[in-house]
Order: sequence, then C-alpha cells, then structure tokens
Amino acid sequence: MDLQLVSLEIGACLLGIMVLLVDLWTPAERKAQLGWWVAGGLVGVFCYSFTIFDQGTGTGATGYVKDSLAVYFQGYFVLSAVLVVLLTQSYAARIRSGISELYAFTCFALAGMSFAAGANSLVLLFVAVELITITFYVLTSFERHRLRSLEAGIKYLILGAASSAIMVFGIALIYGSTGALDFHGVARAANGLNDDSMMLLYQLGVLMTLGGLFFKLAAVPFQLWVPDVYQGAPTPVTTFLSTGSKAAGIVLILRLLADACPPLLGEAWLRQLLALMAAATILYGSLCALRQRNLKRLLGYSSIASAGFVLLGLVTLSDQGAQAVLFYLTAYVFGVVGAFTVISVVSEESSDEDISTLANLHQRSPLMATVLTLSIISLAGVPPLAGFMGKFALLRAAIDSVAVHPVMPWVIGAALVGVVISFYYYFTVIREIFWGKGRFWAEEAPSTEPLLCPRAAEVVLLTCLFGLIGLGLFPEPILFIAGEATEYLFSAN
Amino acid sequence: MTIGLEHYLIVSVVLFCLGLLGVIIRRNLIVMYMGLELMLNAANLALVAFSHFRDNLDGQVMVFFIITVAAAEVAVGLALIVALYRKRQTNDVTDLTSMKL
Repeated sequence: MDLQLVSLEIGACLLGIMVLLVDLWTPAERKAQLGWWVAGGLVGVFCYSFTIFDQGTGTGATGYVKDSLAVYFQGYFVLSAVLVVLLTQSYAARIRSGISELYAFTCFALAGMSFAAGANSLVLLFVAVELITITFYVLTSFERHRLRSLEAGIKYLILGAASSAIMVFGIALIYGSTGALDFHGVARAANGLNDDSMMLLYQLGVLMTLGGLFFKLAAVPFQLWVPDVYQGAPTPVTTFLSTGSKAAGIVLILRLLADACPPLLGEAWLRQLLALMAAATILYGSLCALRQRNLKRLLGYSSIASAGFVLLGLVTLSDQGAQAVLFYLTAYVFGVVGAFTVISVVSEESSDEDISTLANLHQRSPLMATVLTLSIISLAGVPPLAGFMGKFALLRAAIDSVAVHPVMPWVIGAALVGVVISFYYYFTVIREIFWGKGRFWAEEAPSTEPLLCPRAAEVVLLTCLFGLIGLGLFPEPILFIAGEATEYLFSAN
Repeated sequence: MTIGLEHYLIVSVVLFCLGLLGVIIRRNLIVMYMGLELMLNAANLALVAFSHFRDNLDGQVMVFFIITVAAAEVAVGLALIVALYRKRQTNDVTDLTSMKL
C-alpha cells in the first residue's frame, strides 16, 4: 500500500507524538501556546495531503480510498480540529493535567476520523470508529478532578463500548453471509445471494452495523448518552464530539449504504426505518431542548435534532440528498463552534453554564454577543445565514424525492414542526443575551463588566463569523464541491 | 454427531445475548464491562467459525484487530473505573447521578 495515500493520517499522528515530546522541554507557562503550532501543523499536513490527491494516485489500495468524498470530509475534519485546538488553547486555564495531551489526543482522533472518511472495508470501518471512540473516552473524562467529567466519560464508555460490540457482531454476520470484508466484495456477494436465510443474516448484519454508526450520529434510539456527555465533557471536547465524531459516523453510513448495501437500497422497509428514525430524532431533540437551562445540555439536544436533519438527507438515498448532507454539516460546524466558544469563555468567568450567565453579554463583549447570536440564528435556520442554506438544501432534496418515497411527506412535516419548536428554544438564548435579567433569585443585577476574550478564541470567533455569513450569502462554491464529492455515490448502483 | 457451523453460531449468539443482558441488568461497572467483553468475544467466535467453514482467512485477520482494540478499550475503561472509584468510592452505576435534568 502506498504510504503517501495516508499522509494526512500519518501526519496527524506524528504531530500528536511531537506535541507530547516538545511538551517535555517547554516551560509550564508556555505550554498552552503550543496550540498555535498544532493548528498550523494540521493545516500544513492537510495541504500536503491535498497535493497527493491532485496527482491522481487516488484509488488502488484495498480498504482505503482517497476519492473526492474522502477529501471533502478530511478537509471538514481538519477544519473542525483546527478550530477545536484553538478553542482548547483558550480553555487551557481550566485544564489541570497536561494541556499538551489534550492537543495530542485531538490529533489522534483526527487521524481516526480521516481514516473513517476513506474507509472502504469493514475492517477499516471498525478500526477507525474505535480509534475515534477510545480517544474520546479519554478526552471526555479529561478533567478527572471534576466528578461530572469523569461521570460523562464512564457513561460514554459503557454505551459506546456496547454499541461497538453490537457493530462488531453485525460485521461478523455480514462477513458470514457474504464471505467478504471490503465494501465492493460485500456488495457483489450480496447481489448474488439467493439463499433466504443468508439474506436474512446479511440484512441483520447491516442493521447492527448501522446501529453502531447511528450511535456516533446520536440518532434516536441511540441518543441517550448525548445530554450527559455533552454537559460533563470539557467544552472543546464537546465541540469536537458534535462536529468531528458525528460527521465520522455520517461518512461511514453514507459509504456503507452506498457501497456495501446496493441490494437493500430498493427495499421499502429500510427507507421506512430511516424515515421513522429521522422524524423521531428531530422531534425528540427539539422537544427535550425546550425546558433546558444548561447551555451545554441545550446544545446537546439541539445536536440530536440536527442529527435528525442529517438523517432526513440520508433517507432520500440519492446523490442530491448526500450533497445536501455534506453542505449542511459544513454550515453546522461554524454555528456549533461559534456557540460553544462563547459558552466556554462565559462559563469560565462565571464558573456556571446556566443560560442566565449570558445576561448583558451585548454590553460586556459585543464580539461574543454578535457571534453567539448569529450562530444561534444559523442553527435555527433563519436566512440569510449558513444554517438556513443547509436546511433549505436538505428539505429540497427531501421534497424532490417525494415521488419515490411514499412516507416522505410525513417526515418533511415532522421536520417543519421541529424547526418551529426549535425557534422557541434558540430565541430563548438570544433573549437572554440582550434582555436577560440574570438569575431570578439573585440579589444583585447581572454584571456589566467588560468580558475579555482570549486571542485564540477571538480567532475562532472571527472564523465562524466569516463562515456563517460567507456560506449563507455565497453557498455555491461549497455546494459545487459537495456535489462533486457525492456524484455517482448512490446513482452508480 | 459432527459439529457444524450452526453449533458455533448458536454458542456465539448465546454468548452475545448473555453479554448484552449483563450490560443491561447488572449495575456494577466491572461486571458490565465483563459483559461487554463477552459480546466482543461472541463476535470473534462467529468470525472464526465463518472463516473456517468458508475457507477464507479474512475473518481471522479481523479477529486480531478486534482483540487488539478490545485490549485498548479495557485499558482505558478500567483506568476510568479506577479514577471514579478514587473519587467516589463506588463502582455502581446507580451512583452516577451528578447530572440530571
């Protein structure tokens, strides 16, 4: 296998190891500054790996492909990893044990994610998922002096390990019924299956494998871990969970469905199952977010709802739906990172994550208030921001597929209801920024002292601002690249 | 009686269900973790059995990956459980209640 093909993954791992080494010779007060180097290094490694793709050494090795879909997602993962590293740097004051390890683990998780982006066999699918998940067990419980962080880590550990055990059993069943582990071999063998019991085994295997991946995506009924883990994990880790880890699940589901399950794509039950999950996920996320006062839990439920929207694109099982999913994710990353960065800075100052800590933010820090407001508006899906274009593309793909899917109108209806409900809780946050009265039991009025934003967080916020407005006003370039990446994904079958 | 593929699969499914039951019913973290290992090993058994009866070695290679990953998972998992025990002197999941609605 050509090692240059995996230069991004090798580069990310080496960068992680290098940070750990450099850490030994760095004075304690300057350790956080390593974040700039890690972020720069990740961008450099990605640019180098991008040139490999251009030379056309694309496909060839078994088990791993570097096609345009893989490169799109790798770019996405590097973007979110860079933003998360910078966010981590502004969070450094609260990490008691080893900020460099946090950088290193982010790099290792990134390596797992970019393997996932190019996975073309069940073996690499499993190894990539586990590389991401095990890294996140450590990351989630990184502040182990805080009980909540530890508890979040243990909950994620038990549920994550159970879901990967189910996924592994599913892989064993797929292998047993088809005798192959690479996606195309599985598809070829499955097309030729004429034995009913073998077909049943194959279908069961695919469902169990998808179950393990839906866990990463946090789709109902695999969403139970989300609120607690999102609340307990350090904020940069929560951000990476909701951007990187979720997208890794999505790219694997896309590849598994498109490459390994052609015989199932025409089946009505698969579409109905996905449609039911999409509707349930959107409604569950939106309804549970309604009464949340903790900002991180609120965003956790909102991330379940947006997983439902991603499923809405997947239900169509079409190239157009996949394109919309890719664009939606890119728009989503700016909104989520922007919101979590502001929450991270505000909750550090007040050591609380209650929604009332946002009171008077527009006076205390106009930049943070602006970015948080725009992020929330974008997540809610109000034009002309990025999130609106994402939801619009998804709904259009869904509406276009109504003719093929009899259940589609119901799912679209559920999605619209979800959007309306989500306006309520998103605008609660905005109301709190501009008209918040602080805690109702507090004696004194909320503070109006200026709130300083660390330099690294400022860079993240400006990037998000740029991305939210840029993608909202000029979505064509990214839509075009997403279209290139998903061309022939489903229609090739 | 010759032992065929179905016998291996029955054992494997029984192991898997026992493991899953252990994770769902038991409340002790260590026992739940044992249940998880049982589920992984049920998958290993199925893979090896399929591999043998299909005369195809891919499945056995996959088993090596699963064993390695399971070892990494145990290392991280037990470390977490020990850290929790130091903090709370408990390894019962019903005590993990610091975060509620």
